[in-house]
Amino acid sequence: MARGFSNHTNFSIGQRLWQVHWLFVLVLVLTASVGFLMLYFAANGNFDPWASRQMIRFAVGIVVMLVVALTNIRFWLRYAYVLYSATLALLGAVELGGTIGMGAQRWIDIGFINLQPSELMKVALVLALARYFHGGNIEDIGHPTFLIAPLLMVLSPVVLVLRQPDLGTALMLLIGSGAIFFVAGVRIWKFALLLVLALGSAPVGWQFLREYQKNRVITFLNPEMDPLGSGYHIIQSKIAFGSGGIFGKGFLQGSQSHLNFLPEKQTDFIFTMLAEEWGLLGGLGLLTLYVLILAYGFSISLSCRNHFGRLVGMGVTTTFFLYVFINIAMVMGLIPVVGVPLPLISYGGTAMMTLLFGFGLLMAVHIHREESIGRGGGEGDF
Amino acid sequence: MTRLDPSLVSERVRLDGHRKKALETGRNRLLVTGVMFMIAFAAISVRLVDLTIFGPGGDPLVAYAATDRKAIAGRADIVDRNGILLATSLPTASLYADPADVMDAEAAAVQLASVLPELNPTEILVKLKSKARFVWLKRNLTPKQQYAVNRLGIPGLAFRRSEQRVYPNGREAAHILGLTDIDGNGIAGVEKYFASVLRRGDEALQLSIDLRIQTMLRQELSAAMLEFKAIGAAGVVLDVETGETIALVSLPDFNPNIPETMGGVSGFNRATKGVYEMGSTFKLFTTAMALDSDTVTLEDGYDASEPIRIARYTISDYHGKNRWLSVPEILVYSSNIGTARMAMDMGTQTQQKYLDRFGLLNQAAIELPEVGQPQYPSRWGDISTMTISYGHGISVSPLQLAGATASLVNGGIRRPVSLLKARSMKPTEGHRVLTEHTSEMMRGLMRLVVTRGTGSKAAAPGYQVGGKTGTAEKQVGGRYQEKALISSFIGAFPINRPRYVALALLDEPKGNEKTFNYATGGWVAAPVVKRLVARMGPLLGLAPSDTEVPSGIDMEGRRPRLASFGGGEIKVATP
Repeated sequence: MARGFSNHTNFSIGQRLWQVHWLFVLVLVLTASVGFLMLYFAANGNFDPWASRQMIRFAVGIVVMLVVALTNIRFWLRYAYVLYSATLALLGAVELGGTIGMGAQRWIDIGFINLQPSELMKVALVLALARYFHGGNIEDIGHPTFLIAPLLMVLSPVVLVLRQPDLGTALMLLIGSGAIFFVAGVRIWKFALLLVLALGSAPVGWQFLREYQKNRVITFLNPEMDPLGSGYHIIQSKIAFGSGGIFGKGFLQGSQSHLNFLPEKQTDFIFTMLAEEWGLLGGLGLLTLYVLILAYGFSISLSCRNHFGRLVGMGVTTTFFLYVFINIAMVMGLIPVVGVPLPLISYGGTAMMTLLFGFGLLMAVHIHREESIGRGGGEGDF
Repeated sequence: MTRLDPSLVSERVRLDGHRKKALETGRNRLLVTGVMFMIAFAAISVRLVDLTIFGPGGDPLVAYAATDRKAIAGRADIVDRNGILLATSLPTASLYADPADVMDAEAAAVQLASVLPELNPTEILVKLKSKARFVWLKRNLTPKQQYAVNRLGIPGLAFRRSEQRVYPNGREAAHILGLTDIDGNGIAGVEKYFASVLRRGDEALQLSIDLRIQTMLRQELSAAMLEFKAIGAAGVVLDVETGETIALVSLPDFNPNIPETMGGVSGFNRATKGVYEMGSTFKLFTTAMALDSDTVTLEDGYDASEPIRIARYTISDYHGKNRWLSVPEILVYSSNIGTARMAMDMGTQTQQKYLDRFGLLNQAAIELPEVGQPQYPSRWGDISTMTISYGHGISVSPLQLAGATASLVNGGIRRPVSLLKARSMKPTEGHRVLTEHTSEMMRGLMRLVVTRGTGSKAAAPGYQVGGKTGTAEKQVGGRYQEKALISSFIGAFPINRPRYVALALLDEPKGNEKTFNYATGGWVAAPVVKRLVARMGPLLGLAPSDTEVPSGIDMEGRRPRLASFGGGEIKVATP
């Protein structure tokens, strides 16, 4: 069917709705429902204060997602740089005069909502890089000078985010961009070179880390060294996992979570609470849902016939993967503690908006997977 | 111009090598990325299995720590002979600060004072601004206080695990137990004497004290002290068979839970550290040694019609009968003249030998750091012999007096006095100081003091008490003060087969209307022992009985002795 319209972009709204991957939406709703349940129990069986607000956010987010999905993919290509520049400006504004919350400047108060530009940047950067690489070809990518502009596009927000300081987001931006560079065809040896340079400069970079960030890395290496200080989170979290066992302790039975041994149980450490109350089976169940989402994202990227869509799909999927992996690996003590929420589950609005916006793009890619897009975003403009 | 857009693949007839390569690269790299995702997910799944099934698990660590009391409370408990808790240690948290880590000292001081109102914000601020890296802010917080401080979340504050010594019975056994300083080191009493044993902390230290009798003794002494406006009081109850100290009281005392109450005289243990001229209670020892050394018999007597004048001293009788007195009469009427004559008959060496045997010339060997050194003249001439015979010119502690009396009545065995509970109920080892016969005579005489003499106010109904009163003028600056007395009564009961001796001593009692202004031992101290015996007898399972066991002592005597004094010169007749 799609092949027949290969050069036509103006589906009717009805046709596009038909094209929406509804099974994928169902998986998203299922995953988010797990989150609602967890938040309901985190509040000892109350919808307030977390579950109710999270449900409203999700509902709004789904609407945003569908709107994005139904928007022509060319629109996003055309305005990718604009969106990126605006987000970068917002990040700069945060640096200049953001509201101080939780000891790190990450919010910007624009009246009706506390905006977190670093979250928005995760998607904006994907769009901008996808557009840049969409406009190049394999020979261009072979020229080192061609890579200067995208590297700057990546490094400027990373530097700003690091200054906030937000190590988790900076890492996600770097690794997510790395994946786009990789799929776009940048040579392996260039990655290797970059890695060697990064490792070489690590001792220098260590000097620029804040004291609490250094502590986190040291604590990661040996959490028992300081059981009441920085190592507290991880030790308590590991105990919670162990006490969960295979089947879990049951709803509201998690002593670690409900007796407040576990900090931040409704945000970053929500997976620990899930594992304590639902056990190994609950944890693996949630991981299965995540794998399904990733598989959809991956297959959408793979089946997309235009370069821009493929890169955007890959970027969004990678970002989502990084959320899941960094959060779960962190609460299980595989990597140092960094402030990354568990996507669709953790309490918090900005990350959910970012993700649903990203999934909207993914669906737009899916709907427009058969289209050919010119370098400038025009129709058959080649 | 080469185009790389994959969507154009189907429309381009010619696929050059480059484009093919690009497409393959894109697809391959997507697949590589996917494989990496899978590996990462496999890794976290394995970790999840590892943590949930093989992880540490169980209940929270903190809860374990809180229930393990043994690991926290180090110092051993002290219990009485029945296992009643006298002293214990509670784990607490002590708040300290590292001023270098405190960011806003002013705010921290105000916040701390708001949750710990007993702290002065100005003092806290000075501490928080000091250059030291460690300052104590408050010791021994309650769990509630600790929670409140934790909730403030002030950086630079921390807690150190500590323990607080608690004495559940407050003042009751204060002078026995003593107390510890803020760092848990014993600084007085048993806490100091057994410091190393208690610090080892394996098991409770069991004392010989019976808290119930301790409480009774303290109540009765306090009441008498109040009634007669005495400045102090001391009391001892000993088990004559084992040498165990059943009760030991010194007033005024202190509350070991509040160390500040220990200042001044409150911290002074009159029962063991204080040494006093005991007065007439010493006549018991003089009579016993005279009988035991065969100097006199119960049938002998002395002329007590005239005071003895010797050098600058005059020895006269308080309850003067102005006639010849038999040996029993001398004790029962507490005649100084008769006792002094008896001592002169016996001689200085015999007196010293016996006093030493009774343990009255050496420090008491009790398990307390507060032990007084007895005072007696270095040049012990005839005058000393005479005055010491009725308890002047020698100062001993109340505990020594009680211990010596125990050996008078228990068959003549001196047993070491102890504050620790005896291992068995059998009489402990001791060494003989008197013959059994002498001891028996002494019991008879002591009973006569209560039934016929100065100790009549110690007669507890149903319990045959024997004993001796004592009244001594206190020496202040080398002069005897007529109005400042040490009044005491030492009793033993049941007198036919004594189990306990009880001593009550009042420091500077004042007579009142009820006592016709008398403040002597017979008026102020004997009633204390009477009430104590009446209360502790039933408690110890001693059945009251009004049946008097006859001692066979004829108080009048038959054979007056012919010792005479004349012209200020002492002539001592030898038998």
